[in-house]
Amino acid sequence: MSETSAFFERLTVAGQDPRFSKVCGSVRFDIRDDGNVEQWRLDIDHGRMRVTRSDAPATTVIQVSAQVAEAMARGEVNGLAAITRGEIMVDGDLALALRIGRLFPREAGRLQREDPDSGT
Amino acid sequence: MRDIAGTVACIDGNTFMVSDASGDVQSSPSTPVGLFAADTRFLSRWRLTVNGECMTALSVDDSQYFEVTFFAVPGAAVDYVEADVSAIRRRRIGPDLTESLTIFNYGERDMTLDVRLEVAADFADIFEIKFDIGDKSGEHYTHVGPNELRLGYRRATYRREVVVSASEPAEFDPGGLRFAVRLRPGQQWSTRLQAVMLALRPDGVDLRSALRALRPDDSTLPASVQAWVAAAPTLDTESVGLQQVYRRSLVDLAALRFAPLSLGGASVPAAGLPWFMTLFGRDSLLTCLQTLPITPSLTPPTLRILGSLQGTRTDDVLEEDPGRILHELRYGESAAFEEQPHSPYYGTVDASPLFVVLLDEYERWSGDTALVMELEQEARAALAWIDLYADLTSTGYVWYQRRNRATGLDNQCWKDSWDSISYADGRLPGFPRATCETQGYAYDAKIRGARLARTFWGDTAYAERLESEAAALYDRFNRDFWLEDRGFYALALDHDGTPVDSLSSNIGHLLWSGIVPPERAARVVEHLMGPALFSGWGVRTFAEGQRRYNPLGYHNGTVWPFDNSFIAWGLRRYGFGNEAARIAEGILSAATYFEGRLPEAFGGFDRDTTRFPIRYPTAGSPQAWSSGACMLLIRTMLGINPHEDHLAVDPALPSTFGRIALLDIPGRWGKRDAFARQRPDQR
Repeated sequence: MSETSAFFERLTVAGQDPRFSKVCGSVRFDIRDDGNVEQWRLDIDHGRMRVTRSDAPATTVIQVSAQVAEAMARGEVNGLAAITRGEIMVDGDLALALRIGRLFPREAGRLQREDPDSGT
Repeated sequence: MRDIAGTVACIDGNTFMVSDASGDVQSSPSTPVGLFAADTRFLSRWRLTVNGECMTALSVDDSQYFEVTFFAVPGAAVDYVEADVSAIRRRRIGPDLTESLTIFNYGERDMTLDVRLEVAADFADIFEIKFDIGDKSGEHYTHVGPNELRLGYRRATYRREVVVSASEPAEFDPGGLRFAVRLRPGQQWSTRLQAVMLALRPDGVDLRSALRALRPDDSTLPASVQAWVAAAPTLDTESVGLQQVYRRSLVDLAALRFAPLSLGGASVPAAGLPWFMTLFGRDSLLTCLQTLPITPSLTPPTLRILGSLQGTRTDDVLEEDPGRILHELRYGESAAFEEQPHSPYYGTVDASPLFVVLLDEYERWSGDTALVMELEQEARAALAWIDLYADLTSTGYVWYQRRNRATGLDNQCWKDSWDSISYADGRLPGFPRATCETQGYAYDAKIRGARLARTFWGDTAYAERLESEAAALYDRFNRDFWLEDRGFYALALDHDGTPVDSLSSNIGHLLWSGIVPPERAARVVEHLMGPALFSGWGVRTFAEGQRRYNPLGYHNGTVWPFDNSFIAWGLRRYGFGNEAARIAEGILSAATYFEGRLPEAFGGFDRDTTRFPIRYPTAGSPQAWSSGACMLLIRTMLGINPHEDHLAVDPALPSTFGRIALLDIPGRWGKRDAFARQRPDQR
C-alpha cells in the first residue's frame, strides 16, 4: 500500500478530530499518476470525518501528482509553499484546504541550510 | 504617494507600483521600484519616450492611493521646455495595472510622433531586491503577439507572467511596444495600456482566481474608500495639522488593506510599503489595537486569519509550534521554494500573547461575544504556547532563540534587527533572550484570558489558574528585571538570567501591559520623559548614553510613532496624562512635516537642535502601525475607554490643541461622541 493510501486509511479509522469541531465541508483529493486518477473524498461535519473513495463533487478539490501526495503523506510538504509554486492546485475553498492540510504529518527537524543572510 | 526620495507610489493592498515622478520605472536589482504583486516584481521597466525623449513631470496628482496622474512633457528637466507636445498618464492599481495615456499637440504644426513604451519584467522576489541577490534559477520567456507582449518566468511548476496590451494599434517587440501617432494642431490621442499579472498553475489557472472572483469590481473602489472614511468617526478640531494626519492615516489604512489567499475575500492590513506589503502577526495585531475606536472592522478578519494559520506542529525551519501565532506570510518565489521560511514564518514571541490581548480588547469595545466563542480554541492554544513552548529555560519567562539557523530571525521581538538588544556598554547578550516588553504582554494576555474564560467560556478553574500564573509572573518579573539602582527595568535577561542593563523605550510598553507596580511607575516615567530617551518629538527606541545609541540606528535610537503611541497609552493607564499629552503633541507635530503621513521611524535627534524631524533613510511609508499611531494617540488624548456598556471619556489634551471632538465612535454602546476642551486656566 502506498503512503498516501495508508494516510487516508488512518483518517478513516480516526473518524473524529477535535481540531475541526467548527469545520464543515467536503474536500476531494484528485491524485494523478500517469493518466490514472485516484480520488479520495473527505467529508467533515463538526469534527466528524468520513473518508470515501469517491468522485462525487466536493466544495474543495485538491489536485496533486502521486509523487507529491506521497511526500505529503510522509510529512515533507509545506502546503502553502507548494500551493504558491503550483505543485498543489486547489479549487474551491482555500481556507478549508489549508485547514485540512493540518491533518498531514510534518517532519520536525527538516534539513537546514547554513546561510549568514538572515531575517527580514 | 511619495516617500523614497522622488518616487511616487500607487497602492492597492499588496499590489503596488513605485515609479519616478514622471511615471517611469527603471529599476536596478536592489531598489524596490516597479510593479509588485504577491511579493514579486512583475514590471521592472516601464518607460515612456516620445520621439526618443524621456518625459519630465510638470505635476503629479496622487490624492487617491490607488490612482495617480502624471502631467508630463518630453525632454529632460534641465532644458527649456517647448511644450507643444504634452502627455497625461493616469495610472490605476487594482488586480492589474491600467494606464491611460493621452498625448496632446498644442503646437501649430502637424506632428508625427514615435510613442515608445519600454517594458521589462525581472520577476524578482522582494527578498532578492532586499538582499541584492541577482541570479535566478528559473527561465525567463518572451512571447510577442500581434496585440500583446507576454513576459514570463518559469521554475518547475512555478510560473509568473505579465501580459501587456493596449487599446490602440501598436507594434510589439520583445522590449516593449510603440505607436505611430499623427496629430494635427489641437488634436489629442489616447490609449489604454494594461499589464495583467498572473500567478499561473501548471494548468494555466491563476492560483488566486477564486479570491479574485470575490473582489468587487474596480469601479467601486472610489466609493469603497469614501464609505471607509464615512464609516469612521468624524474628527472635529481647530487643528488643521491634526485633521490632516487623521484623514491621511485613515486613507492609508484603506490603501494597505488586502485580501490574503486563505481568507475568503476579507481584508486585513498589510504592514507597510515597500518591504512589508504582506501579513505580519505583530504589526497587524498592534495596528488593530491602535484602531479599535476608529476602524474596528479590521480586527475580526485579522484575528480569524491569524487563528486559521496558527501553528499546529513543530517545525524548525518555520519555527512553528502548536499555538504559535505567525510572524510573516509571503507568496514570492523564495517562500514558494522554501529558500525563505515565510510560508508562514512563526519566528515571533509577541504575536501569540498579543492575539489574546486583542481578542479581549475587541470584545470590550464591540461586545462581539460570538467572536470570543469562535476563537476560544485558538486563544487557549496561544496562551498554552506561552508556557509550553516559550519558556526555554524553565524560569517562567517568554524566551526566544532561533531554531532556523539559516534564515530565522535573531531577535524575535518587535525590535528584530540583529543588534537591537545590547547591554549599556554595547555587548550583545547570548541566547536565549527574554525581552522585558514580551513579559508584559504575556502578563496582560493571562489577565485578559482569565476574563474571557470566566465571562464567556464558563471555565472558572482556567480563569483562576491564569490569574495565579499572572500574579506569579508579576512578582517574578519585578524581582528579576527591576534595576533598583537605576530606577528602570532591564531591556532583557541574558541566557543566564543576567539583566541586560540598557535604557530603552521597551519599558514604556510595560506600563501599557500593567505589569509595573504603581509605586514604581513614577521612576519609569521619569526615564521615559527624561532627556536620554525623550527627544522632544517622542521617546527614542534606545537612550542616549548607551554604547550602541545612534539617532539613525533602526532600533537603536530612532523614534517610532507606533512605539510612542503604546507608551502614551501606558502613561494614561498609570495616570500620567500630561506626559501622554507631551508624546501625542510631539508625534502628531512631527507628522505635519511628513504631509500628515507618519513614517515607520524618524531620527532620534533632539527637537531643539534640528527643529524638524529628520527622515530615516529607508523608513517604510505608509506603514500600518504608524497610521494606527495617530488613532491611538487621539484615543489617549481623549482618554476614551470602554467601561461596561458605555464609553468613558477622560481627556488630557496637550496645550497645542484647544479642542478635539471625536464623533460617532462605534462600540457596544452604538455610537457615542467624545469631547475634549482645553480648560482656560491651562492655556
